[in-house]
Amino acid sequence: MPARPTRPTTRAARAETRGETRPQEPRPPEQHRSEDDPRIMLDRDVGADLYEPIPPYPTRTEREGEFYTRGDGEMFINIGPHHPATHGVLRLVLKLSGEQIVDVDPVLGYLHRGVEKICENSDYYHVIDQVDPLEYVSSLFQEWAAVLSFEKLMDVEVPRRAEYIRVLSGELLRVASHTLYMGFLALDLGGLTPILYSFIERDEIVEMLAALTGARMLFNYFRIGGVNGDLNHEFMSRLGDWMSRAARQTEANAGLLNENEIFVRRARGVGVLDRATALRFGVTGGNLRAAGVPFDIRRAHPYSIYPELDFNVPTRLEGDSLARYLIRVDEVRESIKIIDQCLHNMPDGPVMAKLPRLLRPRPGRAWGACEGPRGMLGVYTISDGSDQPFRFRIHDPSFLNLETVPTLLPGNLLADTMTIVASLDPVLGGIDK
Amino acid sequence: MTLAARTWGRMSLTARLTAILLPLAVLLAVGTVVGIVFILPPTMDFLGANMPLVRFVVAVVGILVLTIPTAFVLIYMELKVIARMNLRVGPNRIGPWGAAMSLFHGFKVLSKEDFAPTGADLTVFTLAPVVTFLASVMTLLVIPFAPGIFGQDLNIGVLYFFAMGGLAVLGLLMAGWASFNKYSLLGGLRSAAQIVSYEIPLTISVVGVVLLAGTMSMNGIVLSQSGSALDWFAFKQPLAVLIFFIAATAEANRTPFDMTEADSEIVAGFATEYSGMRFGFFFFAEYVNVFIISALLVTLFFGGWTAPINWPWPYNLNWLDAAGIGILWIPIALVALVVATDILGAAIWLIGGREWSAPSAFGLGLLIAGAGVTAAVGLACFIAFDWVQGIFWFFAKTYVFVFTFVWMRGTLPRVRVDQLMGFAWKWLLPASLLNLFVTAAAIIILNQPVIPR
Repeated sequence: MPARPTRPTTRAARAETRGETRPQEPRPPEQHRSEDDPRIMLDRDVGADLYEPIPPYPTRTEREGEFYTRGDGEMFINIGPHHPATHGVLRLVLKLSGEQIVDVDPVLGYLHRGVEKICENSDYYHVIDQVDPLEYVSSLFQEWAAVLSFEKLMDVEVPRRAEYIRVLSGELLRVASHTLYMGFLALDLGGLTPILYSFIERDEIVEMLAALTGARMLFNYFRIGGVNGDLNHEFMSRLGDWMSRAARQTEANAGLLNENEIFVRRARGVGVLDRATALRFGVTGGNLRAAGVPFDIRRAHPYSIYPELDFNVPTRLEGDSLARYLIRVDEVRESIKIIDQCLHNMPDGPVMAKLPRLLRPRPGRAWGACEGPRGMLGVYTISDGSDQPFRFRIHDPSFLNLETVPTLLPGNLLADTMTIVASLDPVLGGIDK
Repeated sequence: MTLAARTWGRMSLTARLTAILLPLAVLLAVGTVVGIVFILPPTMDFLGANMPLVRFVVAVVGILVLTIPTAFVLIYMELKVIARMNLRVGPNRIGPWGAAMSLFHGFKVLSKEDFAPTGADLTVFTLAPVVTFLASVMTLLVIPFAPGIFGQDLNIGVLYFFAMGGLAVLGLLMAGWASFNKYSLLGGLRSAAQIVSYEIPLTISVVGVVLLAGTMSMNGIVLSQSGSALDWFAFKQPLAVLIFFIAATAEANRTPFDMTEADSEIVAGFATEYSGMRFGFFFFAEYVNVFIISALLVTLFFGGWTAPINWPWPYNLNWLDAAGIGILWIPIALVALVVATDILGAAIWLIGGREWSAPSAFGLGLLIAGAGVTAAVGLACFIAFDWVQGIFWFFAKTYVFVFTFVWMRGTLPRVRVDQLMGFAWKWLLPASLLNLFVTAAAIIILNQPVIPR
């Protein structure tokens, strides 16, 4: 009697006895590499280590390939998305030769939420507070653009008092935004003090708007056909206090920088945006007016009560960072004039038009644009007859203004990056949408 | 149980205390006598025989210790002064008016993790803050704080100062290179370019003073300015003061020349990757640098420890010094303090009525009496001793310039790198050479006898 074969112990061996052999694959050697090992990227054939701001994938476009090819003596440096001087989450990949900028690759989208799509799934009323956080420094203007577009779509007549209140609050916020701009420009140039003075001004304005609208930053105040709530006592008394010294305080704040030799030397002639380039890129607002084009939506395509108001459109010819700064100072002066006129001519009456509770505009399309602190803020709406916009598109001025950065930066020094970006005044909420 | 343990168990508390304290007291007394009679004289002889060495060690330890309160005061001053200029309040929670802020800042820095990034050159990374700190602190060695109070009176004091000060750039460069970070690298390169450039006008502007004083010893320079405020070199060398002040601002990496740590451009420059006490050393060095630069400005141009006006005191208080009553003033002051406290406390207690308990009344009395006695002793010392006056004037003048540096930080934006370098080479260097030339020519011309003797 033959000896009984012992039963194979492992499952693989048992399978082998039944004739079911599995092809043995040689296992790849274990790689125990930490993700922060600088050599890990060398395997990916992009010629860089983890500490280079080079994307870890093959280049997608010709431009990308050209940018991420390093010349002799050049290095990449990553500014942002978390950097003390990028306003918000802007990321600039700079190609430097020493301190001189050779090329720049702006990377956007860190704040993208798809607000336009969200708005297409909201009622017309809800759109207003959806668009609020985009231009978070001056959110009334973003509401204003949406509301203008919707009112055109629905043929709504806005009461005159509501128009006055809109202009009043809007210009107040323009002053706040421009004041903050001056402070941040100084901060990016290394001045510690002006930003605090700016924030005092902005805080007073924002507090008085909080008395009017109920919120300090994301107001949600404009409505289709008017505004949410009439002027109240606290707002008026705060406004009176502030107006009694606004002009003087503006001059004092501007004087901190205007007469500062270091500031002027660093801003003059830096980042010259000429008229042709500005028009080609679709730059609007103060940046365009600093390049010598007197284009202001309030005058070019008048809306609200602006045709009745007396104000100038300040223009400069230089187109450099200093001109962009000085335009803002001039605009603050003009805004204070406008606020004064609004207060003097404020009519009586209702602040809301009579509207049905459910808004269903006829199918059609409408473009509404207002002059925000950064330029033309537009909203393009297509209606399919339902109570939600069929298509909702936002034209943000910061985006087009920021597009000029790759043409303005090369040839300048690293320190000028901050001057140029800050003087263009981007707000990343609006850019990334 | 042994006999000793049983005896100890039977003893009362008083007896036990006596058994411990009496031998201790006897030992202490015997020790004191032995120490004074047998150990002190040879020790003093030994120290006396090695006086230069002892003086050096004491001076080094002294200036190292001096840097701590200096940095604390400067950090607090900067926080508070800039806050006031920004219409803020500044630190106001820790200590009276937030005065203990820098102390807790120090604790915070000490308790943080010492982090070194992957890829950093650890040896150089660790050495860099030490080099920077020591290079700053060692320059204090030659600064005369008062007559007789100085680390070393080198006959090449000014040269030593600039040599040690120039070493600081090495630390910054090391930090920038070893951090394995491009912001740090840019900061290190900027600091090298900046400090090397500004060292030249800085040094040349001082040569005029050296020519006028005829010595490079700091003490000699201070002594040659003694007299009144009119004898200060600031009035003989106004251009040099200006050049020195600007170049010194750049040397100390202060606004508007803080390119090396331009926070809006290169995050924190060479210090980007540093944390914990390594960063603390850089921080310390920066503030000590401000103090040192101000001190040097005062020493070279504003008369050092000499008083701006001479005010002969009508009463002679010389009996306060060692040859007079000596250290007897300490018991006298203590007795005065106790008597004044008792009188004031009793008065407050009696007059104040029911609201004042005895401890609070005498506590207030102690406060008032303490302030009074301190003021009296301070005033007396100020009048009687030259070195107290010297220290007072030296620190008063120095802190005026420290304040100026802080003021500039609160006021001015930062210049650009190319403007910074252009300013050094196109304006400061020619101006300092001109100043040197004019000074030398004036000395030669004015020292010629007008009427041949």
